[in-house]
Amino acid sequence: MSARPLAPQSTIDLATRAGPVLILVVIVLVFGLLTPSFLAAESLSNTAKQASFIGIAAVGMVFVLLTAGIDLSVGSVMYLAPLVAGLLMRDAGLGVAAALGVCVLTGAALGALNALFIVGLRVVPFVATLATLFLFRGFGAWLTQSRQLDFPDAIRGFGLASVLGVPVPILVFAAVAVAAHVVLRHTAFGRHIYAFGNDPAAAVKAGLPVRRVQAAVYVISGTLAALAGFVVISQIGRLDAGFGRGREFDVIAAAVLGGASLFGGIGGAGSAVIGALTIQAVKAGLVFAGINLYLQPLIQGAVILFAVFFDGLREARLRALRRRVIRPRGV
Amino acid sequence: MTIRTMLLGTAGAAFALALAAPAAQAATICFAFQDLETEFWVAGHQAITETLTEAGHTVIERNAQEDANRQLEQVRDCIAQGVDGIILIPQDGESATTIVAEAQDNDVPIAVFNRPPSDLSRGIVVVADNEEIARQAVEFVAAEALEQIPDRPIQSLILVGNLGDPNAVGRRDGFYAALEPHGDRFATPIEVATQWDAATALANLEAAVTANPQIDLIFTSSDFLFPTIRSVLEPRGMWVPRGEDGHILMAGLDGDATACQLIKDGYVDATGVQDLYFEAESAMNAILAAIEAGETQPNEVIEDPGFALTSENIGEREMDMWGCVLLAEGFLER
Repeated sequence: MSARPLAPQSTIDLATRAGPVLILVVIVLVFGLLTPSFLAAESLSNTAKQASFIGIAAVGMVFVLLTAGIDLSVGSVMYLAPLVAGLLMRDAGLGVAAALGVCVLTGAALGALNALFIVGLRVVPFVATLATLFLFRGFGAWLTQSRQLDFPDAIRGFGLASVLGVPVPILVFAAVAVAAHVVLRHTAFGRHIYAFGNDPAAAVKAGLPVRRVQAAVYVISGTLAALAGFVVISQIGRLDAGFGRGREFDVIAAAVLGGASLFGGIGGAGSAVIGALTIQAVKAGLVFAGINLYLQPLIQGAVILFAVFFDGLREARLRALRRRVIRPRGV
Repeated sequence: MTIRTMLLGTAGAAFALALAAPAAQAATICFAFQDLETEFWVAGHQAITETLTEAGHTVIERNAQEDANRQLEQVRDCIAQGVDGIILIPQDGESATTIVAEAQDNDVPIAVFNRPPSDLSRGIVVVADNEEIARQAVEFVAAEALEQIPDRPIQSLILVGNLGDPNAVGRRDGFYAALEPHGDRFATPIEVATQWDAATALANLEAAVTANPQIDLIFTSSDFLFPTIRSVLEPRGMWVPRGEDGHILMAGLDGDATACQLIKDGYVDATGVQDLYFEAESAMNAILAAIEAGETQPNEVIEDPGFALTSENIGEREMDMWGCVLLAEGFLER
């Protein structure tokens, strides 16, 4: 049996693994060529800032996708959790920090409810989170009677603040991504998630706490969706009844675009970061280039379609590569 | 109740009498709305449900939560329940056409409130002249811009709504109609997609302002986006009231309480006003008349001409705008 040439395989592997990053780089360069001001520091900073909203929630979604699950309720959590915090700010005089805490805890509680349905009652994740999508939004609409909620001005001091010139939303996004990366790559819990996502039956046989792992990822997803909602609302200062509606698709798209697989076991915190940046770079680039508004959704859809198609090829390649390892390197 | 008072104040005397007295025949009305995501829809919903209920009618409410297919099913459900009439706030123009046809094919009279079907030939359609109202509001700020900036092309920006919504298209057309007579005095406008979503508007407007820092005039297709505009402009020192250096001329459309407050504060210069109470009253009046007459397929277009409330005429016309009435009642403090 002759040995296969190493160099070509390594190049293909590298391209396969770095595909999402390459797509992002190409998109940024293309729009930079069309409108050079797109590459200015302020422009790139704004792109990262606006990507933080979807990106933070996408980090949570990656945890869920790694277990081959799905969380369709994130858009409703983005609405309901900041709403609860805002009502307490308005009616109980809560400060910004306390409101942030309430918002995150509410998100965790909503995620725990998803976990209860999925792990406790064994409802399929798609159905369970589809139900809570309506449940959470309906509860929020009932609380407000569909009226907007104006937050106290102090909240905008948080959302529009910068630390050493870096906008707070970017800092929050970075902190979340780094923490998620550490959890996924350097803890037993992270290894259990990958093991479960790759082969649930084998994970059970190996004695891993699969029910606890599966429940935890939905709590994480709810928590981060709530945080994402708070980050945007703290910039605008107002929560409208339609806020977050349909965002679950953006969040899932960002995670998949960045390299997470819908079938579990593949992806990482970097997937969410790259995916969210890619989606926002496309959106911002279209604005910079002054593309016709009717064409913008077509171009966005085409980019996502291409990336998902690429993901299919990439996943097949990665599954072939990792036959002897639980967690593939570099994803 | 104040909403009722306002309705009575804006209605004609004959209609006021009709509302004040219990209807000759109590009807069951299905009120199917797509959602209530802005002040306009909340106030419209309140005006319609309270007035019908107080007049002795039964109102079955159905919220489609921005899902056109769900709304069609909800309307079918209403028809199956044997309602006497339907008032509809549709998700978009195409689905409205389908739902109107569904109701009329089942001999149930239907009135469409504010968001018109693509086909205006069927059903009672109460609609604001979005193009004309937008044109009036933009004309005011355009005239101000021409006076203030005589020596260079004026850069304008429009926040465009969901282009599947005929209202958004009409408002965009009105914006361009107002600038068109001035030819080269206005540079090509910057268009920013919002999809009627604050977070989308925030991201796209931030990108647009970063790419084009010199903006002289902003028109938002809905007043509910003013807080989003503020959050983009304020950190850049571009959220400045009238009369101070750096003020960006600003106009909107809807006539909500926030816009009223911002015109008073000097940050906004004009807003196109839909006469919400006229529209609500017209929809109810027409559907009740059809039910009373036993007419199952009434077809009529009732147009709300609207007007522009500006920094110049707010003294005289403030209380003609529904948002200013709500503001006076403390709407923003609740």
